[in-house]
Amino acid sequence: MKITRRTALAASAATAATAALASCGSNDAGGTGGGGGDVELTVATFNEFGYEELFAKYEEANPGVKITHKKAATADDARANLMTGLAANSGLADVEGVEVGWWAELLQYSDVFEDLTDPEVEGRWLDWKTEAATVDGKLIGYGTDIGPEAIAYRADLFEKAGLPTDRTEVAELLSGDWDNYFEAGRTFVEATGIPWFDGAGGTYNGMVQQLPNPYEKADGTVVPLADNADVKAIYDHLAEYKDISAGLTQWSEDWTAAFQNDGFATMLCPPWMMGPLAGNADGVEGWDIADVFPGGGGNWGGSYLAVPSQGENLEEAKKLAAWLTAPEQQIAAFEAVGAFPSQVEALDAEEVTSLVNPFFNDAPVGEIYSERATSIEVQPYQGPNFFVINTVVSDAITRWDVDGADPAESWEQGLSAYDELGLA
Amino acid sequence: MQSTAAIEQFAGKGAARAARRRLKGGGGVDARPRWWNYVLLAVVLGISIFPLYYAILLASSDAGTIARNPIPSVLPQGNLLSNVIEVITSDIDFWSAIVNSVLVAVVTSLSVVFFATLAGFAFSKLRFRGRKWLLLFVIATMAVPVQLGVIPLFIIMAKVGWVGDLKAVIVPGLVTAFGVFWMTQYLDDALPYELIEAARMDGCNLLQTYGHVALPASRGAGAMLFLFTFVGSWTNFFWPFIILRGESLTLPVALQQLQSSYFKDYSLIMSGVVVSVIPLLLLFILAGRQLVGGIMAGAVKG
Amino acid sequence: MTTTTRPSRTSSRRAVLARLDVRLTPYVFISPFFVLFFLVGLFPILYTAWVSLHEWDLIRGQGEFVGLANFQFVLGTDSFYKALRNTFSIFLLSSVPQVIAAIFIAYILDANLRAKTFWRMGVLVPFIVAPVAVSMIFAKIFADQSGLVNNLLMGMDLPAIGWHSDALASHFAIATMVNFRWTGYNALIFLAAMQAIPREIYEAAIIDGTGRMRRFWHVTVPMLRPTIIFVVITSTIGGLQIFDEPRMFDTAGSGGASRQWMTMTMYLYELGWGPQVSFGRASAVAWLLFMIIIGIGILNYLITKRIATAGGPAKTER
Repeated sequence: MKITRRTALAASAATAATAALASCGSNDAGGTGGGGGDVELTVATFNEFGYEELFAKYEEANPGVKITHKKAATADDARANLMTGLAANSGLADVEGVEVGWWAELLQYSDVFEDLTDPEVEGRWLDWKTEAATVDGKLIGYGTDIGPEAIAYRADLFEKAGLPTDRTEVAELLSGDWDNYFEAGRTFVEATGIPWFDGAGGTYNGMVQQLPNPYEKADGTVVPLADNADVKAIYDHLAEYKDISAGLTQWSEDWTAAFQNDGFATMLCPPWMMGPLAGNADGVEGWDIADVFPGGGGNWGGSYLAVPSQGENLEEAKKLAAWLTAPEQQIAAFEAVGAFPSQVEALDAEEVTSLVNPFFNDAPVGEIYSERATSIEVQPYQGPNFFVINTVVSDAITRWDVDGADPAESWEQGLSAYDELGLA
Repeated sequence: MQSTAAIEQFAGKGAARAARRRLKGGGGVDARPRWWNYVLLAVVLGISIFPLYYAILLASSDAGTIARNPIPSVLPQGNLLSNVIEVITSDIDFWSAIVNSVLVAVVTSLSVVFFATLAGFAFSKLRFRGRKWLLLFVIATMAVPVQLGVIPLFIIMAKVGWVGDLKAVIVPGLVTAFGVFWMTQYLDDALPYELIEAARMDGCNLLQTYGHVALPASRGAGAMLFLFTFVGSWTNFFWPFIILRGESLTLPVALQQLQSSYFKDYSLIMSGVVVSVIPLLLLFILAGRQLVGGIMAGAVKG
Repeated sequence: MTTTTRPSRTSSRRAVLARLDVRLTPYVFISPFFVLFFLVGLFPILYTAWVSLHEWDLIRGQGEFVGLANFQFVLGTDSFYKALRNTFSIFLLSSVPQVIAAIFIAYILDANLRAKTFWRMGVLVPFIVAPVAVSMIFAKIFADQSGLVNNLLMGMDLPAIGWHSDALASHFAIATMVNFRWTGYNALIFLAAMQAIPREIYEAAIIDGTGRMRRFWHVTVPMLRPTIIFVVITSTIGGLQIFDEPRMFDTAGSGGASRQWMTMTMYLYELGWGPQVSFGRASAVAWLLFMIIIGIGILNYLITKRIATAGGPAKTER
């Protein structure tokens, strides 16, 4: 759950942070279709998709279509909505927004979603975004936004430690593998006594997303955790550097408070994290974002639109989903709320690349995140069991990072928790 | 000094009996309070109130100040109102959560009072086969942890299409074993057979008798039952958390969402807490004595 | 002839109606409770047993009959025993100190105080705060680094306590929330019971020269015994199903990284609505907890009965 929590209260902070321009509207709003009777479509989203104005535009261009927007406050709530709606086989929206955090979990129910394959949308998204939504050749979700990761850092604290403060120099300093990032951290911690990153849990999440097959093989079979050398390597790597971790669980009370108290100097930061970060660190000066991510690119978060088969107006729903996820609309959403587009074309769009963020010392975040998005090479395969196994490992890390247990013992506990899942 | 009649009304018969005895004994034995009674009570009261006061302190502050000062200043700051407004108008629809909570609590409480009085009337004053056993059964059901039936209940609600619907929370609470038992006990004492006889002589059937005699006679206990049910409904979380979705949240569920939010402003979160407490606090100030009396009367009887 | 029988026929019809009224109406009056209880209480509990014997997925619904496999699975997990341990630990930490504190508060309330109702209402205030709200307030008070308690401790040069990392400390924190909400409520129950103790007994004790403390221990407490049992029994049923407070104790709501404060009901929820979406396994947990609670209930009943027949001052109950 911790991976991808997003919400509403971020609204004020997020919009401020992304310095939203007025949504432009030069694009035509899709082809008219439902000329016949009135069609009512509901769209369920959560947090901020930035669709409000787009709905009005679509209704205008498609007379007879009426869109109702159901907005859940948090991704967790949206997940619960979707699961109970599927369980009841009724009550779902015609178009459902789905977070990648629980997207994988839904893949096993791909048969209750419509196949959205359409030659017209081919090549619209970054390859890995589409791949993660394809089951047995069936495309069940249109990508909305993504979460390419960069590094956010405290320039003022860097200065104290005698590290470079300029974001290009920082990018140079931190580019390379994770070892390099951690070693820079050691130097920093030795100089200042302030932890380097917020917590091993959040960092683990960034690292594991760089594995092609974190917990499951491409055919869907799980890799038993005891035999999972890749994950164990990351785990040990982090444990080796636990002295430079602030030992905070993301989204916890203590994590939130640490932003105001020089709790740590860097953290992994996808675009949607800018809002909460700026909100938590309100009044703190010195945050900046560097165009770099250790170990290559990485993605954290993002969403899809899916069309549940239980709906009544499947064709109209598909059309709307396709329209909403077209580059023009996602650019507008990006401008409205900062949801970073997953569409290839949108990445070079002037509206996207020109964005700067005043909170982060006027960092050209549009440019930085476009660059980060294209540097993502690996999209991890996330099968239906990704979430449960990831929780087991995250818990194991929390035990030593936050609760002060012994990493080796904690791993053993993790193995028995894994066995409890009864997956093999 | 309160009259014993008043005590009987507020604190139940047992208390009244005790008070009468105490008065007769001229002050009673342990009855004369010492100064430390007040000191200790003030401490207890302080502990009872402190968490709420702490919530108000945080709710009247702002996120940054809260994060920088783990020990808040002892006086509230000035942001309470603006924080409360921000929470009520946020995406977590607090305003409709308040409305929903009121709706659920009022409907269930009225219904419980009505049906419990009806059953209580029958159990205490009417003769029918199996009365004793059925009443025992009612009492026994209080020991059944019905919360553990959530899974089939969820399946049922999904079948009838009530998932995410307030009906799913209201209907299971329409009448409670506790209410039936409570009203039976009360009416057993409070409703003289003569009144029933009189109503019957006037040609009332049983339903009319209930309306003319039993319902009015149970006003006091009914008010207490109403309050109990109201508090129970207002603070209920587990089942609403499972079954309610999206637009139809009650306050505790809305609070949970507030806490699981992704950008956490504790001044807003605590404002949400304060908002959830205020309506019930007002009701408590108005009718708290009845609640106190109800608990004490229930204790002596039960 | 017919003219004379007519009135008697109507009167006999009326008599039949009246008889029916008397015979049937009582059942009609009590039926709402029974109908509702069977629909949303008894039936779901029994049906839980049926679900627990199947592979049953939140979304796919009923699957194959698997016998006791779900029970086997659940009983084979560490989580189950942890949940059991946590539930009982939290229950003990909340019921024992609570009863003691409540008796103590009742004792100081049991006097001819000025503004009696004010004090009584005062101790009842926490009762009207929803457990969820209580938990959110205390989660901030008990936060490990940024919390009030630990900062006060550190301010006094005392070591901070791992309210979340240490299992027992987390149980204590959660029990504190429960105690906060219920102590005043139970104090009023004890107060009523104290006031029902015949004062003559006290007077006799005074004449015997018994001091205040001795009177409390040798008169008041024994006379309260039935009430103590009543309070403990009623809190067992709710206490073993505890969910709200531990669920809200941190943001993730899963009961900690080692499930150190995950209770039985939380485990039930996690199995059923979490990523496993297994209603079958969740039902097995529900059914096991159900049997535990019923078992304890029967035990309670037997103990109570023994105490009651063993004599001692009877409760003022009819």
